Amino acid sequence: MADLEIRDLTVEADGNEILRGVTLDLDRGRTIALMGPNGSGKSTLAYAIAGHPAYEITGGTMTWEGTELNELSPDERARLGVFLAMQYPTEIPGVSVTNFLRTSLNAVRGEDVPVREFMTGLKEEMAALEVDQSFLQRSVNEGFSGGEKKRFEILQMAMLKPALAVLDETDSGLDVDALRIVSEGVDRLRSPELGVLIITHYTRILRYIRPDEVHVMFEGRIAASGGPELADELEAEGYERLKSSV
Amino acid sequence: MTTLSRIDAASLASTSEAAGEPTWLAERRQLAARRFGDQAWPDSHTDEFWRSTPFDVRFDVERELAAAEGGGLPPEGVLAGVEGGGVQVTIVDGALTSVVQHPAAEAAGVVVTDLRTAATDHAALVEAHLGRLTTTTEGGTGSDEDRTITLNDAAWTGGVFLHVPAEVELDVPISVHVHVTAAGAHLPRVLAVVGHHARATLYLEHTSVDGVSALVDEVAELIVEDGAQLRLATLQDWGSGVEHLALQKAEVHRDARVLALAFTTGGTTVRLRPEFDLVGPGAEVRPLGIYMASEGQWFDLQPYVRHIAPRASSDVLFKGALQGESRTVFRGNVFVHRDAVGTATDENNRSLILTDGARADATPFLEIECSDITAGHGSATGQIDARHLYYLQARGIDRDTALRMIVTGYFTEILDEADLPGVSDRALAVIERRIAAADLSAVQVNDLNLREEGEA
Repeated sequence: MADLEIRDLTVEADGNEILRGVTLDLDRGRTIALMGPNGSGKSTLAYAIAGHPAYEITGGTMTWEGTELNELSPDERARLGVFLAMQYPTEIPGVSVTNFLRTSLNAVRGEDVPVREFMTGLKEEMAALEVDQSFLQRSVNEGFSGGEKKRFEILQMAMLKPALAVLDETDSGLDVDALRIVSEGVDRLRSPELGVLIITHYTRILRYIRPDEVHVMFEGRIAASGGPELADELEAEGYERLKSSV
Repeated sequence: MTTLSRIDAASLASTSEAAGEPTWLAERRQLAARRFGDQAWPDSHTDEFWRSTPFDVRFDVERELAAAEGGGLPPEGVLAGVEGGGVQVTIVDGALTSVVQHPAAEAAGVVVTDLRTAATDHAALVEAHLGRLTTTTEGGTGSDEDRTITLNDAAWTGGVFLHVPAEVELDVPISVHVHVTAAGAHLPRVLAVVGHHARATLYLEHTSVDGVSALVDEVAELIVEDGAQLRLATLQDWGSGVEHLALQKAEVHRDARVLALAFTTGGTTVRLRPEFDLVGPGAEVRPLGIYMASEGQWFDLQPYVRHIAPRASSDVLFKGALQGESRTVFRGNVFVHRDAVGTATDENNRSLILTDGARADATPFLEIECSDITAGHGSATGQIDARHLYYLQARGIDRDTALRMIVTGYFTEILDEADLPGVSDRALAVIERRIAAADLSAVQVNDLNLREEGEA
């Protein structure tokens, strides 16, 4: 049994069926890229895994290490080690980055992390991701540029040390430098303990983070699966061939 | 003793005499008493400013003046959380019970004293200013059209006079703590004069023994002279049972600046009038407000900014949160005189409805006689954004904790801007206490925008 096991998952949003039976396995220590054209349902799968309330599971199963995720609230999932790096991180006025990260880390670890240890760890990770110290005084995502938001998502991932990381188009909107910093940040966090699901439209992030498998989603289903070479094919030929083959 | 409605000139004359008040003061009380006799209590059917709050339902004026004897000590005030402390004035049950000076204030010649004593000892200043901002005069902007104000003009009891002399930059806060332990009516009065190019921080704190039924009819007159800076915080941290009527009126002169934070969480009914007359060119005022209303509470908040002089600016921001069967009224009034060219004014109100049954009304009211100005206003009433909640939950933070963080964060913006020593910590403690007492499972969130556009 895989650590993350998704079977025939169907998901609706606003009454529309978006996922039409997705089956996918991911083990800790492995990295999967999920590609596909816009509107194919990639982000819906990410949100479904992370328990976003706008997405309703209408069929199938989704387990993490044997636990049915669909029965858990988003925070319970996070405490099991599920992390979603969001495509559109939310601005939360008045909640400072420091307070947010500390509350989050304490919740995920299930114990209060001493302040000194927390700050030391945070400053190390910030330095690695080239995040400015002034972030600590700011409110969560408020006034952040697109690139800063994505970097902050990966900073959270670095602090929370999840077991399953889902990166939802983390590469979108990043210039080359920011893409490199973010990608290297993710690459550094890869370990035998961490399963990574990279959701992306383009292949460029996969040059930095080499996946073990590539799956292609189309119209709510996995339409093709293969090794890293599948990404290269898509890069060369685009999604058009896929459309004609379905 | 007689109830408030029966207060008359004769009874006040004997009180003045017994207290040894100077003639001018006794005469002013007599004049106010005569006006009082001619006026009626506010009528919510006819009085524009009372339209949103039924006076006869929310305020009981058939009360006797509270007895000044007895009275316990008030709870620890904001200054307890201020390093180095400050000047502490305490008024319990209508009597000024203590004045604790601060060495820095004393050395700078800051006057802090009982208002009755000041009427004699500092007669020139007190006679010049006491009642000047409440009493309508030719070209003035008095507030005595309202009988609740006239009542205080006539019959105020516990009073304090503060004077920060010109060019004195006082960094330690002055706190006037009004505490209620006795049932009945309380009529506190504050007169503060901040001299030209002086700087002062003034806190008006209000607490009561929970469950004591009292009416507190309070007037504060604040004169902020040329180039002076006043930072003001008023904290309504009453226990249940208090009906609070407050006029806090500042007269802001040339290039003077006022930052005022009204923090309202306690009491059964609070009607607060933070008013600012910008009478000197270049005057600047930033009225801020925070309110949190719970089951049974009714807050009527009426900031009023009058732009009398040119090139003055005002920017009002009030933010509230409501839960249970509670009601808040925000009526933001701005008047711009025909001579007030170059005025810049803005006012905004936001209310967060946490649970079903609460109601927040917002009415911006602009009266503009001058065309050469910039004016804006806005109001929004809504629920907690489900996206905020989801983001925090997705990071492992449980729903209740996440809700607490969001509500606290919502107010933090204002507290951070005000940045008043001791106030932020006290306010946050009160906010957290109120949230802890709330039924968070009943909190409704707004999930209309839960999905970003174009997501699939």
